[in-house]
Amino acid sequence: MAVPVNNSSGCWKVPDVHKHHEQQKVCISRPKYREGRRAKAVKVYTINLESRFLMVLGVPAIGVMTELVQLCALYGVVEEYRPLDEYPAEEFTEVYLIKFQKLTSARAAKRNMDEKSFYGGVLHVCYVPEYETVEDTRLKLQDRRGYVMRAARSRAKAAHSEGSASSTTASDINVRHDQTSKKECAEDASNHSQHAEFPPLPLPPWEQHPFGHNSPHGISAQEDKMGTLHDAIINLKQPQVEKLSVNQASERDHDTEHRLTSDQASAFRFLPRSSHLEIRKRRMEEAPEQSASVSGGTETLIGPKLPEPPKLDMNDDSLNTTASLIRNTMKQVGSAPGFKAVEKKTKPRRRI
Amino acid sequence: MKRNESAEAPERFEYLQTLVTEFQDTDSEEAKEQVLANLANFAYDPKNMEYLRELQVPDLFLDMLTEENENFVEFGMGGLCNLSMDPGCRDIILENDGISLITNHLSNRREETVLSAVTTLMNLTTPATCSQITEPGIVQCMLRFSLAESPRLRNLASVFLQDCCSQEQVRQAELQMQGVQTAIGIPLPE
Repeated sequence: MAVPVNNSSGCWKVPDVHKHHEQQKVCISRPKYREGRRAKAVKVYTINLESRFLMVLGVPAIGVMTELVQLCALYGVVEEYRPLDEYPAEEFTEVYLIKFQKLTSARAAKRNMDEKSFYGGVLHVCYVPEYETVEDTRLKLQDRRGYVMRAARSRAKAAHSEGSASSTTASDINVRHDQTSKKECAEDASNHSQHAEFPPLPLPPWEQHPFGHNSPHGISAQEDKMGTLHDAIINLKQPQVEKLSVNQASERDHDTEHRLTSDQASAFRFLPRSSHLEIRKRRMEEAPEQSASVSGGTETLIGPKLPEPPKLDMNDDSLNTTASLIRNTMKQVGSAPGFKAVEKKTKPRRRI
Repeated sequence: MKRNESAEAPERFEYLQTLVTEFQDTDSEEAKEQVLANLANFAYDPKNMEYLRELQVPDLFLDMLTEENENFVEFGMGGLCNLSMDPGCRDIILENDGISLITNHLSNRREETVLSAVTTLMNLTTPATCSQITEPGIVQCMLRFSLAESPRLRNLASVFLQDCCSQEQVRQAELQMQGVQTAIGIPLPE
C-alpha cells in the first residue's frame, strides 16, 4: 500500500492553481444527436493533459483520507498520496494529491470519482501533470506512442490479412515504422510490460469453478458522442492482473452484469453438489437396511421378494454413475458368501 | 456495453462524417468549436484514425492553425497532437507542410496550444524530418521553454532537447542564446 510522502522530492512543492484544474462550465447548447450521457464542458484531451498524478478537491475535512485512498486504490495501485494543504480549497474541505502507478488507473479513477459524492461532499478530480518529472513525462509519451503504434500495426495486419487494398498502406506503415523507430522498437519492447492499458477484470471465484478458466474479455473502448474516452475502457491482453483494480465504469458494469446474469442462469440449473451428496447419503443409509433385510432373506426365502431399491435419477450423469457403482458394490458385497448381515449383537449379560 | 466492432464500424464512420459535415455547413462559431473539440477527442482513440483520415480530418485540423479564433487553433492543435502519433496521419500532416504551420504557434499565448505544438513536433520527428524540426530557431525556442515557469512546458521541452536533438545542436543553441543576452546587456550610450 502507498506510503505518505516526505517533502524531499522536488515535485511536491507548493502548488500553483492552473487553468486546467478548473472545472469549466458545462456546455448546454449541444444538438441532441451529439449530446453525451453526461453534460460536459468543451475541452480537448491530449496526452499532455493526462497524467498519473491526480488532484482530488472537495474532500470533506472529517478525517477521511484513508477512505479516500482506499477508494482510489480500487482503480489501481497508488504509489504516493498526500494532502495539499497549500492549495486553495473550499471551506471545510481538503485537497489531496494522488500518484498512481499507471496512467490508465488515474484515468479510471478520474472518470469514476469526478463529480461523485463522498462522505457528504462532491469530489472534483483533475489531472495534475505539473507534478511529473521530466522522466515521468518522457515515459508517458513513450507509452502512448507505443500503444498507438501497436494499434496501427495490428490494424494494418488485419487489413492485410483480409487482402484489401490497404495492404500497400500496411507495408508502407511497416517500412516507415522500421525507418523511424529503431529507438522506438527497443523502447516498445521494454515498454510492452509497462504498457499503460487497463488489465482485464478477474472473474469472481465462484464463477471459475463451473465455468473453467478466466477468459479475458475483449471489451473495446467506446467513446461517448463527444469523443471523450473518459467514459470508456481500453482492454489489455496483458497477463498481469492487478487484484485491487476493480473497474466500475458503466459499460464495464453492463458487460460484467450481462456475463454474470448468463452465468447465474446456468448456475441455477446446476444444483450444488452438496445437496446431491446429502440425498445420496440418506439413500445409502437406507440401502444397507434394505440390503440387510434382503440378504437375510436369501438364505431362507419365505414370502415375496422385496422390491429392488428404487433407482434414483439424480439429474446428473456423474452422480448417477456413482450411485449405480455403489449400488452394484453393495449388491456384490451382499451376495458374497459368508456375508453376514451387520447385526448388533448384544452379548448376554452375565448374571453375577 | 460490448458491441460487435464490424457492426459498429459503419455507424462510427457515419457519425464522424456527420460531425465533419456539421462543421463545414454551420455558421455558428460555437457549434464549430464544439464539433472541433469532439473530433479532436475522437482522434485520441487509435480506432478512429482510419475514419478520420478518410474524412480528411488531419487537413481540417491543419486549416484551423491559420484561423483567428484562438479556440479553433487550440482544438485543432490538440487534434493534431492526438492524430500525429499514428503513422498514417503523421505522413499526411508532413505532406501538407505541417511542420511550419505548427512551428508558427510555438509563440502562441495559450499554453495548451504551445504544449500540443511541442508534442506534435516530437511526434513528427522521423529521420527524414529531423533536420527541419531541429533547426536552430526551434532548438533555441525549446531551450527557452526548458527554463519556463510552467512545469509542463519545461518537461516537454526538456524531453524534446534530450530525445530529438543532438548534444551539439543544444550546445550551439545555448551559445547563440548567450550571445543574444550579452548584446542586450550592453548599456546604451548616454
